Amino acid sequence: MRLKNRPKEIVQKPLKMITIQLNGEPETLPETSALSDLLAHIGSDGKTVATLVNEQVVRPPQRAVHILMEGDRVEILVFAGGG
Amino acid sequence: MDHLQLGAYTFSSRLILGTGKFSSAPVMLEAVKASGAQLVTVALRRFNREQLEDDLFGPLSEIPGITLMPNTSGASTAAEAIKAAHISRELSGSPFIKVEIHPNPQHLMPDPIETMEAARILASEGFLVMPYISPDPVLAKRLEDVGCASVMPLGSAIGSGQGLASAAMLSIIIRESSIPVIVDAGLRAPSEAARAMEMGCSAVLVNSAIAASDNPSEMAAAFRDATEAGRHGFKAGLMAESTEAVATSPLTSFLGEQS
Amino acid sequence: MTLLPDWLTEQSISRELEAMLRNRSPESLETMAARSRAMTLRRFGRTMTLYAPLYLSNYCSSGCAYCGFASDRTTPRRKLDEEEIRREIAAMKQLGIQDILLLTGERTATVGFEYLRRAVEIAAESMQRVTVEAFPMSVEEYRELADCGCTGITIYQETYDSMQYEALHRWGPKKDYLYRLETPERALEGGIKTIGLGVLFGLSDPVTDALMLYRHARHLEKKYWRGGISISFPRIRPQTGGYEPAFEVDDHLLARIILAFRITMPDVELVLSTREKPSFRDGMAGLAITRMSIASRTTVGGYLEGESPDEGQFEISDSRTTEEFCQALRNRRIEPIFKNWEPAYNGPSHQTRPCS
Repeated sequence: MRLKNRPKEIVQKPLKMITIQLNGEPETLPETSALSDLLAHIGSDGKTVATLVNEQVVRPPQRAVHILMEGDRVEILVFAGGG
Repeated sequence: MDHLQLGAYTFSSRLILGTGKFSSAPVMLEAVKASGAQLVTVALRRFNREQLEDDLFGPLSEIPGITLMPNTSGASTAAEAIKAAHISRELSGSPFIKVEIHPNPQHLMPDPIETMEAARILASEGFLVMPYISPDPVLAKRLEDVGCASVMPLGSAIGSGQGLASAAMLSIIIRESSIPVIVDAGLRAPSEAARAMEMGCSAVLVNSAIAASDNPSEMAAAFRDATEAGRHGFKAGLMAESTEAVATSPLTSFLGEQS
Repeated sequence: MTLLPDWLTEQSISRELEAMLRNRSPESLETMAARSRAMTLRRFGRTMTLYAPLYLSNYCSSGCAYCGFASDRTTPRRKLDEEEIRREIAAMKQLGIQDILLLTGERTATVGFEYLRRAVEIAAESMQRVTVEAFPMSVEEYRELADCGCTGITIYQETYDSMQYEALHRWGPKKDYLYRLETPERALEGGIKTIGLGVLFGLSDPVTDALMLYRHARHLEKKYWRGGISISFPRIRPQTGGYEPAFEVDDHLLARIILAFRITMPDVELVLSTREKPSFRDGMAGLAITRMSIASRTTVGGYLEGESPDEGQFEISDSRTTEEFCQALRNRRIEPIFKNWEPAYNGPSHQTRPCS
């Protein structure tokens, strides 16, 4: 039983994908990804960024527990040059 | 000591640097160091995984004594500027916000009505509001009334390099203002920064003139020195100009007459 | 020792003015006159606004050593009743006057706020502009006056030298230097549109007084930026009581002070009264001064009954009639102005305070 069920969990769950809007572009992610997973995925972890989900600021301590949902609008912002 | 006072912050440098339009981030960082600036502007941008060097927070924070002043560029309404200010404060931890609202992307002239509204709200939320405005003396006083930390009238249109085309209006603003007046935009030559300082501006904000120079670091140093020279000139007090020739028939001969 | 605010004592504020007042060369005076004349012409054109004072009462509770109305003088005391006020104003209208300055002494039981408020109401019925030079009031009182049609308050510090101020104001409510200093701010907060400042030159060192007057005006300009400012340049003249001025202010120095104010405050109204002689008034008219009194009587009831020689607040030096004086102005190509603004604009200022 255990052996039989196990592959199902491993294979099926990661395969279920959701689509979000990242900085205005569609981005596909595994279901139950946290915001911090997304940051690692695009290479912005370790940088100082501001994150917004559906126009609400998500502060750094909350990013690991903020689970993204289908259709979420995510903005990742940095400071660039400007006068 | 002669310091620029903005809210509870004091700066010995009176040159504020904009960080846009440089050929690369390293060139910009060298220019910032050469300028001696302690306050630099940055803009919010979407993170781009193909252009990782866009992110300036890390490299700028490593320069000792730098305070960031995020701007609200891109905002065309008060609501957008307020939103940008809130996000910027999350990111920078700095209370400074350069309120910059231009509804028209071509000439980038600031919208006085939206700026007034954004400044009023942001000042009440504890921001050190630095509004970028057209050189309008009444608007400058209205912004002072709502608690702005400074006003930043343009010397001439942004990026135009027309220098102090608005000198006459600027001198009224300087005369009437109780908060620092910072000339922002339009300066081309270091001598124009010196002149703005001689007129009594508290600081100048320079970007394009340095970024577009063949040697940004050297130009940054030139603006640093010119800003200081102009400040010294202002503090020492310029000699009075001799404007009108003495009239051939004396104007004051009536003085001392008996009746 | 009175502790003065920084804005009044910070010398760097008045550096340019000071340089002009310390230099006493005749050439510099002539250069200043040319500069001042050009600035006056640019900003005000060839015009002169004209007003006349109406002394409502000479009751006074103060002991100003230099004033003919001080409470220890033997001057007979009198106040105009409402009917007399109407008659005096009618007589002034006959002379062409539409811009009136109402004067009283310091507040007394006989002449207090209510009396003054009523006088403003009566004056506003027929005059285009009503200015009050009386006693310091509260913000609420100024608001009430503004609602009744008072557009301007004139309140001189007399001298900014706090030691001399203490010595000269021998008794009465006027002894409080700082309360008087803050009076223009209360008036502006109450919605009064124009504030008249001045010192009585000769009470203390004239250069120091001029510099402090300038700083006071600049402070008000910056803080109450919607308000208007006018500055007067009275110098002490012989009057009842025989006060001898401690400092001599001759024509050249007074002219220098006035010209320097025009150069450093290009937009403010500069005022000269009939205390000054015709040659000085006519000469300064083209150079810096933009507002003058005319046909003045400084005794209570003087317009109808004529002036009695030794009872006025001060002695008048320019006693020309309205017609004579206007002709003198026109000879200098200056247009006399009796009415500057339509009274429809005379309501109180509701936004004099910095908005919040």
